[in-house]
Amino acid sequence: MPTVDVDPDELRELTGHEEKSDDELIDDLFGLGLEFEGRTEEGTFELEFAPDRLDRLSVEGVARSLRYQYGDARGVSVPSTNSPEWTIEVDESVPDERPYVTGAVIRGVDLDEDALDSLIQLQEKLHATMGRQRAKGAIGIHDLTMLKGRDALRASDRSSGDEPRDGPATEGEPTIRYVGVDPDGDRFVPLDSDQEMTPAEVLENHQTGEKYADLVRDYDRYPAIYDDLGLFSFPPVINGRRTEVSTDSRELFVEMTGTDQWTIDKMLNVVCYALAARGATIEEVTVEYPDEELVRPDLSTKTKTVSHDRVETILGIDLDPEEVVDLAERAGLEATAGENEAGEVVYEVTIPPYRVDVLHAVDVIDDLGRAYGFNELEPKYPDVGTVGGRHERSRLEDAARNLLVGLGFEDLLNFHMISEAENYERLDLEAGDDAYGAGEPATIKEPYSEDYTMLRTWVLPSLLMVLENNTHRAYPQNLAEIGFAAHVDESENTKVAERRSVGAVLAHHDAAYEDARASLQALARNFDVDLETSATDHPTFIDGRTAAVVIDGEEVGVIGEVHPKVLVEHDLEVPVAAFEFDLEALR
Amino acid sequence: MQLPHAQAAVVETASADEAQSVDDLAAATDLPPETVTGAAFELEEKGLVAVDEHVDETTVLTDEGREYVDDGLPEVRLYEAAVAAGADDDPAPMGQVIGASDLEGPQVDIALSNYARKGYGAIESGEITADPDADPDADPEAEALVALAESDDASGLGDDVVDQLERRDLVERRETTVREVVVTERGVTELMAGIETAETVGQVTPELLTSGEWEDVEFAEYNVEADAERVDGGKVHILRQTAERVKDVLVGMGFQEMEGPHVDADFWINDCLFMPQDHPARTHWDRFALENPTEIDHLPADLVERVERAHREGVGEDGEGYHSPWDEDFARALALRGHTTSLSARYLSGEEIGELEPPQRFFSVEKVYRNDTLDPTHLLEFFQIEGWVMAEDLSVRDLMGTFEEFYAQFGITDIEFKPHYNPYTEPSFELFGTHPTTGELVEIGNSGIFRPEMLEPLGVDCDVMAWGLALERLLMLMYGFEDIRDIHGTLCDLQLLRDTEVTY
Repeated sequence: MPTVDVDPDELRELTGHEEKSDDELIDDLFGLGLEFEGRTEEGTFELEFAPDRLDRLSVEGVARSLRYQYGDARGVSVPSTNSPEWTIEVDESVPDERPYVTGAVIRGVDLDEDALDSLIQLQEKLHATMGRQRAKGAIGIHDLTMLKGRDALRASDRSSGDEPRDGPATEGEPTIRYVGVDPDGDRFVPLDSDQEMTPAEVLENHQTGEKYADLVRDYDRYPAIYDDLGLFSFPPVINGRRTEVSTDSRELFVEMTGTDQWTIDKMLNVVCYALAARGATIEEVTVEYPDEELVRPDLSTKTKTVSHDRVETILGIDLDPEEVVDLAERAGLEATAGENEAGEVVYEVTIPPYRVDVLHAVDVIDDLGRAYGFNELEPKYPDVGTVGGRHERSRLEDAARNLLVGLGFEDLLNFHMISEAENYERLDLEAGDDAYGAGEPATIKEPYSEDYTMLRTWVLPSLLMVLENNTHRAYPQNLAEIGFAAHVDESENTKVAERRSVGAVLAHHDAAYEDARASLQALARNFDVDLETSATDHPTFIDGRTAAVVIDGEEVGVIGEVHPKVLVEHDLEVPVAAFEFDLEALR
Repeated sequence: MQLPHAQAAVVETASADEAQSVDDLAAATDLPPETVTGAAFELEEKGLVAVDEHVDETTVLTDEGREYVDDGLPEVRLYEAAVAAGADDDPAPMGQVIGASDLEGPQVDIALSNYARKGYGAIESGEITADPDADPDADPEAEALVALAESDDASGLGDDVVDQLERRDLVERRETTVREVVVTERGVTELMAGIETAETVGQVTPELLTSGEWEDVEFAEYNVEADAERVDGGKVHILRQTAERVKDVLVGMGFQEMEGPHVDADFWINDCLFMPQDHPARTHWDRFALENPTEIDHLPADLVERVERAHREGVGEDGEGYHSPWDEDFARALALRGHTTSLSARYLSGEEIGELEPPQRFFSVEKVYRNDTLDPTHLLEFFQIEGWVMAEDLSVRDLMGTFEEFYAQFGITDIEFKPHYNPYTEPSFELFGTHPTTGELVEIGNSGIFRPEMLEPLGVDCDVMAWGLALERLLMLMYGFEDIRDIHGTLCDLQLLRDTEVTY
């Protein structure tokens, strides 16, 4: 689970509750669903957050939620904004893969160390969550005073070599331009560097560039943002050093680029709310697409219609409409009670612009429940009658397992994933051989561990591994497993034939074919099926002591004495007799 | 009359006139004393002898006490060495005297601590003096030791002296029960009539039983207290036993078992659960995508369309979808299921066993696969307990009540519900319970009411609440295992499996 670091002193200051002790704060935070995980070296709280309330990724958002919880704030609050002065002009050269941009100007911000740290953390956490590691949305925050926007350069013209043309930006309006550039089409000094580099060089030679190189490597043109002085940001990879934000910055330009307008607009709202909570003024920015003009940030609210009946049903309690309205306000929402066409009570619920998680009326009901306190609700057993029962396959499996245990076998439970070496090679098999257990493997893509690269095609390899790992334990070791096995089968809908396989090994100083045959007979007899064992060859077993297991006329498995080369391969110094067959044959 | 060998020997050897101790009888009959005791009590029950019991106190020398009888008490030896060194006139150096005394190791300390106590002299500044008037030959402790070496009866000796010897671990007082046997009148009568010794046999045989001989034979005694050779037999795997128990509980609560593919399309594993395709859990590092085969053959086209619409537009009049890409190819991609909620989706859709009418309860206890780091509490594959209830109008209170009943069956009580977030449930709760032995609050599961964006495309128009829990977690909680790898998988320790307590 992701965590967010929150300084308890800042929390006290921003909530206006200087009297709260750390322990009280921890309790209050748990009530919000933010679990205290520990402290950082600097003594700030590490809080675990569920990835729905992305507006709580910084101390400002956590403080806002606490203020609602304490009753210090009610309803929906939207910060006021000033009219746009700046324009982001989106050039047609912008890469198709990353066409969207948004932004806001922030004025009069007081960035002390704590506030700057919090802003940086918020940016990182938004990148990690909504931004999908910057793939979907990337944030750039700049010192506005370092930007010169009166006469933005036609960057795309420079990179593409086209004739200069008139842009939509009019003289006198400060403008920055979102464009696409050739990977080596221009140079700038990135953050944490003092060298001029082209975007392509950043991907090769800069630490941050290397980390995010995969996001843009396949693009023909790289995303870039220009002001009058030139390239100052290379989203989603890195900003230029010229506009770096410091504790001296008082005016900021926030830009976000991405693959989805809604996503970056919402990320922008979360950042604007956090800065407004620190007393900053939000100023709108005009975003000029070739065919459309937007004014951002979009701090409009939306509404959801919630039926009173659903609120009562889901929470399992009776409520007055006034109580519902009150709960909504305590949750940072606003609800107006009314009636629908059927004459039922419904609420129009206003959702503030920083919320990214409210998709449906049920999300509002969850908020109402949290405001009410879910732990205040009395559990009750649902008054619903149903008849229980086991699946036939699971009953069959149990019946066969009980017989094996009664015959003295230790029941085992092994992993379904295995490696090719264990499944085939160490048993002297090859995938695709015409031998029991040699079916084509269902393989894992880019496996994490070389020990687990496929699903086992039979269980005998697992049983031999257990014998191998327990040679220091007392014999006899008679082991059995009724377990999952699978192989590729194009005739199946999932292209994989999955089955339960009955595998058994008998390992002791005089274990022989006959012992395995006796146990197999006992199983067959108890399930009243006809058993034959017809001589066959199988690379895992000794020639002349191997047979196909034929049940009710169908070949369903193999039985024999394990070949010495397989025993030696598994460091075994006792004979092993074994059998394996499909559980279905006993049905 | 016929009596078993030991009883016959005892009654014949004992006297009617004079009580004889068990030890004497044992010596006379050549039987072990415990056999004689057993026989005597059985004879007493038959009225042939009387057994009198009394407690005797004896005082016997310890090994150390016996040593001092031979060598002399250490303090006496020290005194003698001191006198030999002339310490009865002038103080003599300690080292020299001790060397001459032949005292070694702990005996030196014993000698020194008793020397002054008994007034043999003084020890000061590394020098030793000996009192010329002391008389070690009359040392009462030494005399008592000699007396006790000859007889274990301390009654003629002073209690103080014996107490002191006991404190010095030179003697030990013992209480022994002495049993004495005397033949009763009835015994005499039976003896006169003649006592025969019954035959003993090793084993019950068919001949013995059919001939009726068993009535007259005595069975040779075994050492019934000794351990027999170990047998292990077979046993159902401990994790399987736990799974069986969970299944029993759920069946008892009215749940039916589900069954379905381990390798499944991402559509059933994630898309049907309203998991956005760019959700972090759907990226490579969490899931086991298949390299071969890669894609499911068939998905129900109308369901795919409804699911895609829910992802893009949400459901309901003012519902919203995700602002995430949705691609049918990704939905068709095969992977090892990361949860058995894929089975729930299949059953709820009606594709598995036909359309379901409420009310319904379903469960499974089956393997799921997570691309996680292997450690003592995490495996790449583990069992998930999945359960859901479908009914008209279910509330979070019903959900809470169901879990309380379920977990109470495993001794986990005081369930707490922490509001939580899942993409496919709302409201959602993490469940915390109190550990039955440690009393800690531990996370035991995840739960919620399925979202309309999941249920509507599946064609379900009532409420469904669901929960999931790792079976291994329950096992570890119930039985206190610390490393799950000892139990589950090919690294398992057979001895641990053989020795593990069964569950019920």
